[in-house]
Amino acid sequence: MIDKSGLILNIQRMSTEDGPGIRTSVFFKGCSLKCPWCHNPESIKSSKEIEWFQVNCIGCETCIKLCDYDALTMTKHGISIDREKCILCLKCIEECPGLALEVKGVEWSVQDLFNEIIKDKAYFLKNGGGITLSGGEVLIQADFVASLLEKLKKENINTAIDTCGYVNKSAIDKVFYNTDLFLFDIKLIDELEHTKLTGQSNNLVLENLLYLVERMKQSNNKKLWIRTPIIPNSTDSINNIKGIAKFIKNNIEDNMERWELCAFNNLCNDKYERLDKVWEYKDANLITKEHMEKLKEAAINEGINENKVSWTGTTAL
Amino acid sequence: MSSTIKQPKNLSKRVKWLRDYYFKGLNREWNNEYLSYTTGTEWDVQYDEIAFYITPEAYAFLQIMKSSHNQNARKVKLGSNFFAMSLPERKAEFLREVMVNYVPHDIVDNDLIAGGRFNVVTSKGWTKKEANARNKRVYGKNGARAMMKWFHNHGYGNSGATSGHIIADYEKILKYGFKEVYNQLADIFANYSEQDKLGKKGDQIKAMMIAAKMPKQLAVKYKEKCIKLAKDEKDESRKNELLLMAKNLDVVPWNGATNFYEAIQSLWMTHMLIMADENYPGPGVSFGRIDQYLLPYYEQSISDGMTKEFMKEILGCFWFHCNTAYDAQIGVGGNQGITAGFGQLFNLSGLGKDNVDMTNDLTYLFLEVIDDMSPILEPKPNVRLHQNSPEKLMDTVVDMILSSQGAPFLLNFDERSMAGMLREAKRANLEKLINLDNVFDYASVGCLENTMVGNDRSGTVDNNLNLLKAVELALNNGKDLLPYTDEMTGKTDKLRQDGPITGTNDDLDTFDKFYQAYVEQTKYIIKKIVELYEVTESLRAEFSPTPYLSLLVNGCADQGLDVTQGGAEISLTTIEGVTYATTVDSLLAIKYLVYDKKECTLEQLVTALKDNWVGHEILQAKAKNRAPKYGRDNDETDEFAKKVMDNWAEETWVHKTKSTNRRFRPGMLSWNYWVGDGYIMAASANGREKGKFLSNAICPSNGTDINGPTSNSNSVGKVLGGKSEEFGDFGNYVNCLPNGASHTITFSSSLLKNKGHKDKFKAFLYGYTKNGGTALQINLLDVNMLKEAQKHPKDYRHLLVRVTGYNAYFASIGKELQDEIIAREIHNSF
Repeated sequence: MIDKSGLILNIQRMSTEDGPGIRTSVFFKGCSLKCPWCHNPESIKSSKEIEWFQVNCIGCETCIKLCDYDALTMTKHGISIDREKCILCLKCIEECPGLALEVKGVEWSVQDLFNEIIKDKAYFLKNGGGITLSGGEVLIQADFVASLLEKLKKENINTAIDTCGYVNKSAIDKVFYNTDLFLFDIKLIDELEHTKLTGQSNNLVLENLLYLVERMKQSNNKKLWIRTPIIPNSTDSINNIKGIAKFIKNNIEDNMERWELCAFNNLCNDKYERLDKVWEYKDANLITKEHMEKLKEAAINEGINENKVSWTGTTAL
Repeated sequence: MSSTIKQPKNLSKRVKWLRDYYFKGLNREWNNEYLSYTTGTEWDVQYDEIAFYITPEAYAFLQIMKSSHNQNARKVKLGSNFFAMSLPERKAEFLREVMVNYVPHDIVDNDLIAGGRFNVVTSKGWTKKEANARNKRVYGKNGARAMMKWFHNHGYGNSGATSGHIIADYEKILKYGFKEVYNQLADIFANYSEQDKLGKKGDQIKAMMIAAKMPKQLAVKYKEKCIKLAKDEKDESRKNELLLMAKNLDVVPWNGATNFYEAIQSLWMTHMLIMADENYPGPGVSFGRIDQYLLPYYEQSISDGMTKEFMKEILGCFWFHCNTAYDAQIGVGGNQGITAGFGQLFNLSGLGKDNVDMTNDLTYLFLEVIDDMSPILEPKPNVRLHQNSPEKLMDTVVDMILSSQGAPFLLNFDERSMAGMLREAKRANLEKLINLDNVFDYASVGCLENTMVGNDRSGTVDNNLNLLKAVELALNNGKDLLPYTDEMTGKTDKLRQDGPITGTNDDLDTFDKFYQAYVEQTKYIIKKIVELYEVTESLRAEFSPTPYLSLLVNGCADQGLDVTQGGAEISLTTIEGVTYATTVDSLLAIKYLVYDKKECTLEQLVTALKDNWVGHEILQAKAKNRAPKYGRDNDETDEFAKKVMDNWAEETWVHKTKSTNRRFRPGMLSWNYWVGDGYIMAASANGREKGKFLSNAICPSNGTDINGPTSNSNSVGKVLGGKSEEFGDFGNYVNCLPNGASHTITFSSSLLKNKGHKDKFKAFLYGYTKNGGTALQINLLDVNMLKEAQKHPKDYRHLLVRVTGYNAYFASIGKELQDEIIAREIHNSF
């Protein structure tokens, strides 16, 4: 229990979009789904990765000189990383004068992470602020997360888990007791579409959601927010929203406090480039405000309480 | 969507007219431009440049100002015994004569408040002997001006006994009028021994009695003017307004005010005469807790049936008058340093006795007026917040911040501020004057400099010291890194052993030894500024009394001492530590580069700094990026920063002025020095090049704040002392800077876009009352900054833009998306 460490991508303080109040969000590395629209592509892989930031590079080639594996070369476009050759020794990252090379994924002990993320406790007190554990898929590291949550609850800190739902049921059991709010994604209601796009069927996702709601019914003070990313030509159809709305209406509405439709944004292309990947959605347009309103209306028309549905995010100008 | 520039709103016809009229500037037929007056003697001096030694932009104009005021000065006819009087009496009599019989007594159309022109530059009233003695000490080879310039040119900062930065006892005048003040002075004088009557104390009291009559005589002049205008006025309602003004002037400010209108008239005239007395428009001459001491008059008038609409009209006129301070140099285009930003500050809300919140109806009325009038520069509001500030106040504050693209006011934080005032009480033996029974009545002057009210002059902008200078001297064994070259003459000074010899490369073989060298050099630079201040402080005490201001500062009459001679009950002066984060980060970088990582020797680092980092880019990048930085809420780093803070703050308390016995206290305000002095100071070990900005007040260095506003605020709170059950000064709050510390944070406006986000921002402010500093200026990320960041990505690499749920480094997202974000910021449509 004590020696466990978690692989953490990022700690975001004064986060305002991951639950109530002011929150410190912890992004865990590694995901169980592979959604092609992912806004945090560096969170998918469960191991460390190296990225190079052009704007920070001073061109000194310190990294190239240090690399024992010839994994780094200077090209016309800057430093190129041969990910086959790189063994992630991180020597280059420890010495890069400009912090142009960054490792994605850092190990934290439960105690150190706890100490770091409660620094903003004073700001959590009003409006139900606290800690959100997100990812990637946070529940892949359920044992670590469970220990962290236990400590946070002892300090009386509001806790939220942001999950894609594609996890072992036992993971939910491990974190259930010390979590105040679940942010649970339903991306696509059609099983085939879900499989096609995310790489996995949504059966387990929906089963887990029903299981979670069953447990919530026996426990007070747990909250559930459903989140649906609205992605152009992928999840943004009226039918998809109608289908999710029906599922919610029939199964979980009484236990759901809020359903957020989160509009696609296009700011993450540079992240794909840094990982030497191509983003399928690079040229996709933002969703229009009208369409977001329409989707909200579709949800309400299926009988979802209008005070529970909202949309967030950036829409086309 | 609407344009992002906030527009005034809800203004009555009258107030809109006055506001528009003000912004016509030079196209107005009336203005409040400086008027100069002389005794007519050949040695007469009007412009006392000492007050401008803290505004480096004014240095180039000192001689021109001196001669232009002299040339333009109108001769004042004086009694034959004028020069037989004592200097304070001459000063008081000259000003009285000018204000009552020379300055035009204009009433601007539609205005409801009398008291138009107050920007005067008056004879200092010196005899030939006095003028010669004073001039030698100011303009002589080793005089005040030369010393001041040396100090500034060599990167130490600036110092000078300057005007304002005080809250007069307005409450006393509102309650009892100048009549009471005059009678008290007469009693004091009557009870003096014959020896005292003929001595300096007697002279001072007699001068103050002359000054006390000035407001009454001036009110009579304005009353006559109102009656005359009324007679010629065809519009019936304007005629009645003028007659009501005349009626008010019959009462105030000689007598106490009986209603809200009289109170504002009394307050304005009392206030404007301070600026006249000091010959300086609006330098932090502040109003204090205006929503508290005006409340009885407000309540009286409400019960008499006065409407809030009429009160807002009166306040609109008050706003107009405050802004006319800026007219001083309107004819020459204004901005020669002194017109860059005044600070007739007032506080709203805040704690009262037994930790009760004092927000009242008048607080909200003032907030309404601020919201209606903004954007406008004066008077400057400062809203006091605390842990239990009411939600309604917080809602109003947050709404106003959002609609004004940045706060139309500063925010002060009571618990931390009061802890600082109580610390001051202990350190300066002032516990009888500042204690738990009255500390809540503290208020801010200028911007955020905390003082007590009506009895406190703490020289809050008189000494501005670049703490970084001590690092430079420690690096180079007590000598400047770069020789100073005079831009005008091209002459380069030889490097001198200015600071103590504290060792070089071989001697300083551990960081502890280097730090000790820094401590020694800090002692030296503080001693240096204390000595420089003594030059102007003693000159002012001897030659430039302000008997009118002294009427309004408790302690002066009792001691028979002018406020410039240390007459205030609380008479301190402040060293504002400038370049704090640059200093801390430089020390941290030296530790990291030279001692921990051994990336270079101290000697090599000194060479890199002398070369302005040219040819040492890798080392510079390491200094900038790899060395630890203050402001990231890292306990180890912040503990070191606290050590640096305590060191200079403790050293400051050691000193007192010789001539006026004022103890020095520490604070952190940088006004605009952190920009200008960046061109003077050599490159610094934190990676900064010469010519780049220094750090501002208590803020982290530009671009180092990578963990966001909460982390930044926590660091600020920690270096002020954080919290301690054992050593808390107010509850468990500790604050080693009684003056307070200026803290600015820039937020993305997307953070405030809807109701839910406003609540989050409120949560931030409540959190700040617990963890943060004494004062906060909130800026919203603006389009210009984003455009700058687009042009110079390396300077803005840490700029995070938060676009609903998604944070990205602005510099790294590509031009098209940057353009889109800029477009959204313009349309405020996140």
